[in-house]
Amino acid sequence: MRAESPAATLLAEVARGDRRALRALYQQQATRLFGIAHAILRDREAAADAVQDAFLRISQRAAQFDPARGEAGAWLGAVARYAALDLARKRGRELPTDDPALGDTPVAPEALERVAASAEGRRLRDCLSALDEKNRKGILLAFVHGLSHAQVAARLDLPLGTVKAWIRRGLLQLRECLT
Amino acid sequence: MIPTDPQDRDILAAEYVLGTLDARAAAELDAALPGDAALRAAIREWEARLAPLMVLAAPEAPPPDLWDRIERALPGAPRPAPAPKRRGWLDLWRGWAIGASAVAAGLAVVLVTRPAPEPPRLMTVLLTQRDQPAWVVEADPSGRLHLASVTPRRLEEGRAMQLWSLAPGETAPTSLGLIPPEGRLTVNTGGVRPEPGMLIEISLEPPGGSPTGRPTGPIIFIGRLTAAGSS
Repeated sequence: MRAESPAATLLAEVARGDRRALRALYQQQATRLFGIAHAILRDREAAADAVQDAFLRISQRAAQFDPARGEAGAWLGAVARYAALDLARKRGRELPTDDPALGDTPVAPEALERVAASAEGRRLRDCLSALDEKNRKGILLAFVHGLSHAQVAARLDLPLGTVKAWIRRGLLQLRECLT
Repeated sequence: MIPTDPQDRDILAAEYVLGTLDARAAAELDAALPGDAALRAAIREWEARLAPLMVLAAPEAPPPDLWDRIERALPGAPRPAPAPKRRGWLDLWRGWAIGASAVAAGLAVVLVTRPAPEPPRLMTVLLTQRDQPAWVVEADPSGRLHLASVTPRRLEEGRAMQLWSLAPGETAPTSLGLIPPEGRLTVNTGGVRPEPGMLIEISLEPPGGSPTGRPTGPIIFIGRLTAAGSS
């Protein structure tokens, strides 16, 4: 079954122009990638546009994927995230931060346990746990829900400048911790 | 301007991956990337560092016609001539075991081909962390929710699975009760009316259920109710 081939194998076939491999990749990944785009855009129509854009990018850029440098799933997820973020920016990120679809799921304490499913995830979980709580929440909200600095600031009820500085400091702390 | 200071460049890469750059800054970086191998490498490193966070976005079945849309948009796609409907559905059925999107679409076929013109049914497929369909949840017109497991699963001793709903706009989930070992449950949601966008979650709890009235263990399955047959 094509759709059960590893994503990296399918990507190599897509790079050679194989349309069927792209379809198999879609069948295998669409639910996950749509979830990633939907978390950022919180609108099914927009998320569908982002996933469509992501698959066009995948078909053009599959040759850029290098299995020696990372996992295919992470590469595909990144393509979908960038497509969704680009669309969110085009829409002016005018999504209200009191959006009812924006739950606390990614910042709930138990959510970090799901991150710890892999060895890299466990290290990241531990390093995130070491961050100041608001700092951690800001990073998670930005990554999962695509919130801008201003939206994170509104959501956490902090001044914009503080949020920018905190997120930067948090990212540097994460890098140190993960080294 | 792309900075020259190494620390500033690394922060820029990190914020690009995190998604907090505004449209102008992101476009500027995109334009600089082809000629800046070091910046590309910094971005790859940040992607790898943060990639595990992608599991925090709940998997969700895309609209059933999305693949057809993508195929039409691909360069060199055959002009309009829409594929015969039947084959499309057949392919979706073939993909049954593969993607939950196909599962949802397939069930939608069953539901929409029922004779009586009923209000749209709400349903969702809850996925495992490996994106395999694990549970089907369906709301009937009287507002009851039916939960059925797709694959039988064994639970560790001393643990229970609890079902929760979270309506759009609510901040705290409502318990719908414990899931019996046979993996089937029909619940009257009481005051909470199933509606599109409602999150359905299953958490792992101590025997007897959460002592606090909110999930205390990890959320192991999650899905969002949508109208069957619509996108």
